[in-house]
Amino acid sequence: MRDVVVHVNGLAKTFRVKQKAAGLRGSVRSLWHTEEKEVTAVSDITFSLEKGEMLAFIGPNGAGKSTTIKMLTGILYPSAGQASVLGYTPWKDRRKLGYHVGSVFGQKPQLWYHLPAEDTFRLFARIYELDMGEFQKRRDFLVESFQIADLLQTPVRKLSLGQRMKCEIAASLLHRPRIIFLDEPTIGLDVVAKQQIRDAIRYLNEQEQTTIFLTSHDAGDIESLCKRVVIINHGRLIYDNSTSALKRQYLRRKIIDVRFAEPLTAPFVLPCVETLKQGTYGVKLEFDGREIPVETVVQQIMAAQSCQDITIADPPLEEIIREIYKK
Amino acid sequence: MKRIQAELIFLRALVGVNLASAMEYRASFISQIVGMFINNGIYFVFWIIFFNQFGTIRGYNVDEIFLLFAIVTLGYGLGFMFAGNTRQYMAYLVAQGRLDYYLVFPRNLLLHVIFSKMIVSTVGDVAFGLIAYSFTGRFTLVEIGLFLTTAVLAAIIFVGYSVITGSLAFYMGNAQYASQQMTNAMLTFALYPNSLFSGAARMMLYTVIPAAFVGSVPVDIVRNQDGRLLLLLVGAAILVWLIALFLFYYGLRRYESGSAINVNI
Ligand SMILES: Nc1ncnc2c1ncn2[C@@H]1O[C@H](COP(=O)(O)OP(=O)(O)OP(=O)(O)O)[C@@H](O)[C@H]1O
Ligand SMILES: [Mg+2]
Repeated sequence: MRDVVVHVNGLAKTFRVKQKAAGLRGSVRSLWHTEEKEVTAVSDITFSLEKGEMLAFIGPNGAGKSTTIKMLTGILYPSAGQASVLGYTPWKDRRKLGYHVGSVFGQKPQLWYHLPAEDTFRLFARIYELDMGEFQKRRDFLVESFQIADLLQTPVRKLSLGQRMKCEIAASLLHRPRIIFLDEPTIGLDVVAKQQIRDAIRYLNEQEQTTIFLTSHDAGDIESLCKRVVIINHGRLIYDNSTSALKRQYLRRKIIDVRFAEPLTAPFVLPCVETLKQGTYGVKLEFDGREIPVETVVQQIMAAQSCQDITIADPPLEEIIREIYKK
Repeated sequence: MKRIQAELIFLRALVGVNLASAMEYRASFISQIVGMFINNGIYFVFWIIFFNQFGTIRGYNVDEIFLLFAIVTLGYGLGFMFAGNTRQYMAYLVAQGRLDYYLVFPRNLLLHVIFSKMIVSTVGDVAFGLIAYSFTGRFTLVEIGLFLTTAVLAAIIFVGYSVITGSLAFYMGNAQYASQQMTNAMLTFALYPNSLFSGAARMMLYTVIPAAFVGSVPVDIVRNQDGRLLLLLVGAAILVWLIALFLFYYGLRRYESGSAINVNI
């Protein structure tokens, strides 16, 4: 039987936002007359998530990702719709749900700023009423997984962003949550730190079947972790399928890099093919696989001039996402 | 019983983390306490000089002024030693979306918020309250018992009132300044003999700014050893907290979160 961990049905959230004209005049006027505007952050989204899945929940800035997570963790009351997380209604069973859910908001640290992470770990043990022996074992396991042994005694304010983030995520896993919501956990991190965090998350998912709900603007996070992608834009769900289907569906465009044996003398042009870049010994071409088959393009290139090397590639996931967002 | 025990273990850990965080800045820690002590002392000296000039003021002798001071400062200090968040930041936490942090944990929300920030300078208030009491010359067991009981009730009312003013932020947005000023006003008015006020102003001290319940009412209880008035004070404390709980939890439904970046200092 399938084990549904999250089920969301017609969930919506509208905010009331006070409007104020620019400048001091606007401020003064707003003292006695405030206009309110309704902002629909999330409208009518429906999806579900099974145990052990790693879901990338993506969309452009302001799409409604954080708002959705806040409703699923019991922070916000929705304006309409239902949601069930581990069988609980988040905004009604906030406390019961809290024991089994972890959350990391990249922009909202949970660690106490002036204290070493270890102190917050101990506080969390009390918050979640963990058995102290269990807690020690769990702590050691996470310290190992995230490689943070030598960071734990330093006040958090003295850690780098990447070091802090590793501690943040480890802290959110102390109580063995069955699902974890990660809202931009890799924001502002360098390549190495990102990779370490991805590895640790994947390891956790493999070891404990922790369900992962991830938002990120980093295509690398999605590609290396998530088999499934849900895309929302303007609060609406516009795509829900596997990451590979996303690629197949949108990867009609191919990119070809060619290195020639002899220098080029004239502009390199082929029918139905766009020349992206041209150097003395090489060109970069792009074309749509439905307009012209790959073989035809390759034959034409080889006919035109003798080649040393040809590579055919898909555009990066990032570009696909950009395409979808533009719609 | 087990629930209460778990709650106490949690609160102890929270207070421990708080103290540790405050200790990170030892110099400021000590200077705050000393500062508060001096602050109270100046007030106190002013009243001593005043009474030397005029004798009594509308039914208050100087030793009753000491008693008033003792109850108000001890109550204030005991209350906000732990409830620093509601004293200073609650409206801000609400308006800036910083309740998010507390909402994801499986804990009683209001308790967690209240106990998450200590004000160390209140140690100065507590010490001052006890010293002020030693000047009142009321040392029978009953008097001391009534003094401590009313001070604890005053603490409970102070904190309840700060929850009320802080919760205004759920309803009117940026209420931080207003809410702090209301609690300030309660403290200031509590330190004056009630008999100085009449009419609408006096009415206010029993309602909108319930300063009477943390000042002159407790003084009456101690000096008249009035058990019935004590019961009324307990009733007032319960009422304040019922209003506080309603405003807080009803307001929570309107909570809008936000994207401010927060740190736990
Ligand atoms: N507390 C709030 N009050 C008013 N409007 C809000 C509030 N929070 C979010 N919004 C609005 O709701 C919409 C969705 O915001 P949300 O933070 O969910 O976007 P997001 O997908 O997380 O974007 P980002 O990638 O930038 O983090 C935005 O238009 C935003 O302005
Ligand atoms: Mg967001």
